[in-house]
Parts: sequence; structure tokens; C-alpha cells
Amino acid sequence: MSTLKENWRVVALVTLLLLSAVALFIPGVPPGTSDTEGAGAANQSTNLQYGIQLSGGTRIQAPIVGTTAEGVDVAPADEADLAQATADRLGLDPIDVRVSNQTETVEVFSNNVSTGEVESALEAEGYEPSEVRPGVTRDTRENMVSVINDKLRESALTGGSVQQVSSPGGRSFISVTAPDRGREELIGLLEERGVVRVYAVHDNTENGSYVREQVLSQGDFAGIGAAQRSETQGTHVPVTVKQSVAERYANDMVEAGFGSGSTCRDSDYDHENLQNSQADCLVTTLNGEPVFIGGVDPGLGQSYRNGEFANNPQFIMQTSNMSEATELELALKAGRLPAPLDFDSAESQTLSSALAQEFQQRSLLTGILAVIAVSLVVYLRYGRPEVALPMIVTALSEVFILLGFVAFVQYPLNLSHLAGFIAVIGTGVDDLIIIADEILQQGKVETGRVFQSRFRKAFWVIGAAAATTIVAMSPLMVLSLGDLSGFAIITIVGVLVGVLVTRPAYGDILRSLVLDED
Amino acid sequence: MFEFEVPEVDYTQYSNRQLVAVPLVVLGLALAVLGGWYLVTGAPVSPSIDFTGGSELTVESSLSQAELRDNTFDEPVVSVQQVEGENRYIITFDSSNLEPIEETARSSEQMEFLGSGTTSPIFGQENQRLAVVGIGVAFLGMSLLVFAMFRSVVPSIAVVLSAFSDLVIPLAVMNLLGIKLSLGTVAALLMLIGYSVDSDILLNNHVLRRSGGFYESTYRAMRTGVTMTLTSMAAMAVMAISATIFGIELMASIGFVLVVGLAADLMNTYMLNVTLLRWYKYEGVKR
Repeated sequence: MSTLKENWRVVALVTLLLLSAVALFIPGVPPGTSDTEGAGAANQSTNLQYGIQLSGGTRIQAPIVGTTAEGVDVAPADEADLAQATADRLGLDPIDVRVSNQTETVEVFSNNVSTGEVESALEAEGYEPSEVRPGVTRDTRENMVSVINDKLRESALTGGSVQQVSSPGGRSFISVTAPDRGREELIGLLEERGVVRVYAVHDNTENGSYVREQVLSQGDFAGIGAAQRSETQGTHVPVTVKQSVAERYANDMVEAGFGSGSTCRDSDYDHENLQNSQADCLVTTLNGEPVFIGGVDPGLGQSYRNGEFANNPQFIMQTSNMSEATELELALKAGRLPAPLDFDSAESQTLSSALAQEFQQRSLLTGILAVIAVSLVVYLRYGRPEVALPMIVTALSEVFILLGFVAFVQYPLNLSHLAGFIAVIGTGVDDLIIIADEILQQGKVETGRVFQSRFRKAFWVIGAAAATTIVAMSPLMVLSLGDLSGFAIITIVGVLVGVLVTRPAYGDILRSLVLDED
Repeated sequence: MFEFEVPEVDYTQYSNRQLVAVPLVVLGLALAVLGGWYLVTGAPVSPSIDFTGGSELTVESSLSQAELRDNTFDEPVVSVQQVEGENRYIITFDSSNLEPIEETARSSEQMEFLGSGTTSPIFGQENQRLAVVGIGVAFLGMSLLVFAMFRSVVPSIAVVLSAFSDLVIPLAVMNLLGIKLSLGTVAALLMLIGYSVDSDILLNNHVLRRSGGFYESTYRAMRTGVTMTLTSMAAMAVMAISATIFGIELMASIGFVLVVGLAADLMNTYMLNVTLLRWYKYEGVKR
């Protein structure tokens, strides 16, 4: 019992090793993985995730095209009008302009428009933006991530991932990773559009059977507003129909019997079996699947009839909650990215899986060779296996714990991380050398107390060295420089694991070896 | 079995001036190389496409290096590098428009596409800015930490100066050997900031914070410190060599930069830092 207590550092080390083994080898342990299918790379014998450099695939990092005017004080009701007017002045499709009352911003998603042009367009509309800058709002960036995520999921692409990366004081961009895909394929997937159609579903007055008649197609929309909530209308998505088709659409609707409105709930419409429907409904589909089912407000119906609609061709699609509204907004945009990605100023990397597999094996071999080299130097220096062997074993266990950590957080490994692992072996052994020298070089260690004081002295240096390494690597954690933030995280976690767990444990091991001798 | 021992250097034989001269001359030469590079090329180092923008293609090909360079691609080729002992080539282009390049490689029967990478000039500039900021912040942070730990000017300056030299020397060597500064080598330089001060801290700690004579303390610190640095160098040298043979550019350049930096560190710690400490101990403190 007391030996256990005395050697609690060794106990901690063994515990961490066991936890790492569990995280590495037991399927389904890391959060977000399941035990039936692998999370990413094929032929999984461990829970490690490989990045494209080690499993093949493409990663694209591209900035979002856009200009943002801040501090535009626009009333909720004027959002659509301002978008339309701004688009007209700039010669753009209204869909490329997003006006938000909530964030007081106007965003223009086009490469061909300068900040000055946006500013003067808004001023001509009577608004005074406080600042017009390149870039988009956080809302839009988050929106981009969720839309791309949906796209990756729908394309049955396993292991694909997307995140937004921004560097302090710099541009922000979107980073998309897709295993087993070429660059062109991935760009194609990102730019792929779905098909949106709006149907009027109504019973045929002659024989009472239901018919589905298309009244609007994707190109007929002038704008899709942002999902929003208002006091009177609840959560909804405002849409604007193009002026040129507004009259035709209104007439179609009147002919279909919506001239005085209709009430329709989700359950009233049967997509599979049209004849089981129970009411006249307006149905919107994306790629053939219904995304909105609703009735027509009597007021709106009247405006179809008396021609008012053609003058102001807007209506809203109401939803029961905000998340549904957001989904509907995305669906109406039909997989169109909220803002385009600027692939011309992107950074991308593609690796065939053959080359990646080779890198995987060869870098593993490189790591093993480096360990052998370190072991050799240490053995030659001390000539005592009982000092050198625990050193190597301790350094290796540091790497094993790190691997466990990486598997647990499901961080995709790339080449620079493997270099980081080798660096961790290097620093790890360095510190163990400090401990060993401090304890062995000043004559015999006779009591536990002498040992303690020497160990503490050694630890001051180790702690100082660890602190400098952490300070040196920490800027990389924040800066978005390729894979380097991962490299920095691995090195820092490695140093922490080393200083807090494995290196003290080595001290304990050495003590029992040295004190036993006497 | 043979064992190696760290030899005991008799520092009393050499004057401070003699000892300091060597590392300072090397540092001066390294700075001259970087300065000359700046005058000739407009940058102190040769940046890779990570910083300038451009494309890179990895192919397996039956074509010769010259054919790949001169008459295979429509875009001007900057360099063609062959992977040791294999038909594999890494081709670099100035253009960051990857599409036509990849298309040429994929449609050619004499080339098998293995990988590609591209960085737009805008991204490159941003990377450059961030890398400079990163190295600057890391170095500054390290310096502040060292001052906080030792709380005396000369020993701290000794550490910071040798760390600076440890960074500059590998940069100059990279220029001379035609190794370009990439994101990977920036990572290696940052590692070096953390790594190389270890032996300096060890030395300062033994000399300033322990009992015992200057030379005795120095020798003890040296025994440990040299072993440490040699071990790390062994790991990095093996990584550099095997990654070069295997054609893993990134790991090879990280390994190489660390080997050169650690070698520079041996010199700087045990010639520059030691001398400054000796001056501080015997003359500086008395004043």
C-alpha cells in the first residue's frame, strides 16, 4: 500500500497509458465515432483519424467573396426593398445582397463590386453606413459552414469536414476537407445547385381529385430573405418573386382557387399519395422533396386577385420555429452557398491515396528509426541499461499517451504532426537526461531525502525548459498557418504530459533502481 | 562496447575574447548572408510557394527531368525535383492556377498524378505576415520568460543572444543550400526557439543558482547539456535523412533545420553563453 502511495506518479502514468490504449483501440470510445463503422479512413485498426496527407483527398481553404456595410439602420420591413434597390444599383441579382436589420448590415456577395460602389449605392438609397469593409459577417460565415456541412453529408462523403478559420487581424476563410476526392470534384460539389419548385396543390373543380401544378421555379425568385422572427408573423422566411413573372404567378394562383386564401397544415398534404390530401396547399420542393407546406393568407389571396401582388411581389413562408425557418431558407437557396467562395485566391492540397498510404508507412518507419537513434545515443552515453531502458520506455509512453489524446479528440493527423511526435521524443529524452544526470552524477544516493532534493533541482530546469517551449509554440496555436496549429497543439500537450506525468514517473522508477542497489 | 563521455574543456586556456570571437564571427557571416540575400533578391530568405503563391505537382513519370521542365507543361516550370532513387518528381510552378496543370498531368499517359498543392498569392502574403508575427511573438515571449527566470541582465542577454544566433545560422545555411523557407521550416524554427534555450537555461542554472566553482559547474552542465543536444540531433538527423530518402519533403526540411540549429546551439551555448557568464561571474558582478 505504502509503495503504491510512494510511487503515485508511476501509478498515474500507468493509468494514463491504459486510458490511451482504450481511446486508441476500443472502437466507439472517442466521442462522435460509432463502433460499427469507422470514422474516416478505411481499414481501421485504431481510432486514429488521418488527414489528407496520410489518407489521401483534398483540402481547400478559400476566402468568402463579399463586402459588408456596417451600421446600416434599416427597418425590418424595408429589408427586401433595400436588397432589391441595392442590387439594381450595383447591377446584381438581388440574391447576392443580404440585408439584416438585426446586425444592421448590408452584405454584397460579388467580386466585381468595390467598397466605394457599395457605399455610394447605399447612400443613394438614403442610408449612411458607418463602415464599408471587405469580408462578410459572422452570421454569413456560420451559415456557410452549415450549408457546406449539409452538402458534404448529402453527398455521402464520409469523413469530410468544414470549418471557418480566421486569423487575428487578417482575412477569414473556409477550410473544407474531403477524403478520396480530387480538387475538381470537391469544387464541383461545392458549386452544385439543387432544384427548387413551388407547386399549387388544389382539388380539380370538375372531378374533385387533387392536382399538383407548378407555379414557380428557381429562376422566378428575385430574392430569398433571411430566416427571421417577428411579433405579428412568427418565424418565417420572406421571399420576393421577380417582377416579370409576378402577374403570371398571381393569375395561376387565382385560377387554382387561392384567390380568397386557403388553410393548410403539414398533415393536409400527402406527397406520396396526392389524392389523400385534404386541403389546397402551396408546396415548395427541393430536389423533389417537400420543404414547405402551407396555406395562403386571405389577404395575400386577395392581392393575387386584385393585381396588387404584381406591384409588390413578396410573401412570407411561415414556420413553427426558428430552426425550421433557417432550414427552409437554406433549402430555398437550393444548396447555393450563401456567398460564393473565391477559389482563385484559395489554397488547396490534393494527395492521391496511393501516395498518402506510402507517406503513412514511411513516416512511421522514420519515427521508429529516430527512436532507435535516440536509444543508441542514450545507451552509449550511460552504458547502463537500467538507466537507459526506462528512459526510452518513458519517452515512448509519452508518445503513446499523445496518440491516445489525438485519437480521443479525433484530430486528423498529418505529416507535420508526425514530425511533432518525433520532436516530443527528442525533448522528452532531453529532460530525462537532466533527471538522470542530476541524480547519478553527484556520488551515491543514500537516502530518499537526498534523492528528493536532487530531483527537485532537476525539475526546476525541466519546468523552465518546458515553459519556454510552450511560450515559443503558443503563437502557432492561434495563427491559422496550415497544419501548424495542430503541430503546436501536439507539441504543447506533449510537453505538458511529459512535465506533469511521465518525467516525474521516470524519477520514481530511477529512485527505486538506484536505492535498491545499496 | 564503447561508451562516449563528454570531454572536459579547459576553458582557462582561452581568453574571453578568443572564445566569443568564433560564434560572433559565425553570426556575423550568417547575418551577412541574409543581408546579401536581401540586397540581391529583395528578401532575406528564399520563400517557398507557401509564401509567394504558386503550385506544386507530384507525379510518377517516365519522362526525364529536362523534359518535364522544358516541354511538358504550358505554364512555366520553376523547378523539378526528383525523389531519391525513384521515378517520382515534384514540379513547382509560379502560377497558382492549378486546373490546367493538373489537367495536363492527369491526361498524360507518361505521368501518373500523385498529388498537388496550390497557394494563391493573397494566401501567401497572409501566411508571410502570420509567420513573421508568429516568430516575433515566440521570440519575444521566450525572451521575457528568460528575463523573468534569471532576473539579471547579462545572463539573460546571453541566452537571448544565443537563441537569436540559433535562428539566424540555420536560415543562412538554408539560403546557401537552396532550401526554401516553407511553413514546415517555420515550425522547425519555432521549435528551435523552445529547444535551443534548454541547454542555455541548464548552463545558467548550474552556474548561477548552484554552489561550486564556475568551471566545475560549467563542466557538469556541459555533460548533461551536450548529451541532451546530441540526442535531439540524432533524432532529427535520422528524421532528415530517412525523410529525404523517402521523399517526404516536409519532414526532411524540419529535421534538417533542427539539426543545423542544434549544432549552432552547441557552439553558441558553450562558447558564447559560457563566456558571457564567466565575464559576469568574475568581472561583471564586482562592478
